[in-house]
Amino acid sequence: MAAADSPSAALRRRDLCSRGIRLAGKMRADVVDLLDAYVEQQGLDASASVAAVEGVPLAAVERWDEQTGTQRLLENLAAYRAFRALLAQMLEEQREQLGEADAGLGRALAAVLLQVSAFAYHLEELLRLESRGVPGEEGDGPPPPPRLSLFEQKLRGLGVLRELAQWAVRSVRDLRQLAKPSPATGAAPGLAESP
Amino acid sequence: ESHLQYERVGADVTMKCGSMDWDAAVTWTVNGTDIDESHLNGSYLILKNVNLSQSGQYSCYEGSSWHLKYQTFLRVGTPPKEPVLMCRSNNYPKGFYCSWHLPTPTYIPNTFNISVIHGTKDMVCEKDAVPKNRCHIRYLQLFSTVKYKVTLTVTNALGKNFTTLTFDEFAIVKPDPPESVVAKPVPNNPRRLEVSWQNPSSWPDPESFPLKFFLRYRPLILDTWQHVELSDGTSHIITDAYAGKEYIIQVAAKDNDIGTWSDWSVAVHATPWTEEPKHLTTEAQITETTSASTSSFMAPPTTKICDKGAVVGSGAMAVCWTAGLVVAAYSVLFI
Repeated sequence: MAAADSPSAALRRRDLCSRGIRLAGKMRADVVDLLDAYVEQQGLDASASVAAVEGVPLAAVERWDEQTGTQRLLENLAAYRAFRALLAQMLEEQREQLGEADAGLGRALAAVLLQVSAFAYHLEELLRLESRGVPGEEGDGPPPPPRLSLFEQKLRGLGVLRELAQWAVRSVRDLRQLAKPSPATGAAPGLAESP
Repeated sequence: ESHLQYERVGADVTMKCGSMDWDAAVTWTVNGTDIDESHLNGSYLILKNVNLSQSGQYSCYEGSSWHLKYQTFLRVGTPPKEPVLMCRSNNYPKGFYCSWHLPTPTYIPNTFNISVIHGTKDMVCEKDAVPKNRCHIRYLQLFSTVKYKVTLTVTNALGKNFTTLTFDEFAIVKPDPPESVVAKPVPNNPRRLEVSWQNPSSWPDPESFPLKFFLRYRPLILDTWQHVELSDGTSHIITDAYAGKEYIIQVAAKDNDIGTWSDWSVAVHATPWTEEPKHLTTEAQITETTSASTSSFMAPPTTKICDKGAVVGSGAMAVCWTAGLVVAAYSVLFI
């Protein structure tokens, strides 16, 4: 893991982390706006509790402070890849439901999807920097989900966006942890260890 | 054997003298003082529409033998109103605390029971020794979208009441105000004030969970505040202060990403640097010297004035002499 400890690698990591933090911050702000618009357009109750939906990665984590750098990157990457697929599906459903009638919401969804893809790529860069193999994406992605009713689709969308907003906050925290230099080597804590 | 009874304010209370018959001759006392017979119905003591001042020890004595037949401690109070509950995380991401109080006193002992549910999971809120009406919880999970539900039940001998709070992890995050706020003038800068502060000591990890700050300042003579939001750093230089005016300054903190602003810090006062007019300085010194002496006036030696370094250059001597003469003239007038 010598490469991970070199001064130039440490600088690149810090740079990638800072940019990632800014990306995640912007993404979160846009997701929160999208969430407000989505709730209103879909006629949902903002305070409705949505049961954990299958396939939506939960941001909730125990012992977050004990995670290694690699764990953080891998979990983040898996989550954003899942969100990429979920948002693409929501966009598709949106177009089917409303056609051109709600172009604003569609555009906002597409913009967030773009940011999610960019962030996933950013995470891959960080993993490559640590000479960690970037896990390949499974085949064609997850199997197509069962056809949901319109109302179920809307609730699912709410769940997706809420978890994405949480993930965006978590990612900022994760990247800050990653950016911390470790006292002895100057490398980020946990990244040199195997998972 | 002494009894204890609780009664509501405004209730009618009937006390029996133990196992004595209704028509027995008895004497009732309250806190050692005899109670007038008009309050008796046979051997029963009747207290109508009781108020708080009627709390005390009631004793019943058999008429002739003066044997104590019955004793009870009466406590007049009210059932609890809906309690006021507040939960807050000032030490994110470690956990949060909840504190409570009753809007009006009941005047009798109350017990509080608090339950915290996260989704389907019961959590234990550990009671603090001090202050009493407070408990704290450690977060087991972070970044959860599942809400927390806190229910506080208050019970006393006359009734019970409860209240519930539902919130999510981010909503209750509110740091304590910044500490050690210091404001100083900046030398040779009549419109600047340098303000510095520290993160609240209760915030466990400012490196991973950085705070941002809000500064507000105004001269004492005005009512409107100026505001500055600062996304990092724990100091700021105010550059638009009114020269010579005393300012009041406060700072608040917020987690960079979630939650709400803290309360304002303790206020500090500062006045920007002002240039000391040189001749005024020397006159002030002379006036102090002369007012201290009670004997006949003595002109202060001019060397003394000039030694203070208040003036420089060759024109100095003339200025010093002139100042000395002017002050001497004034001093003569005042004596």
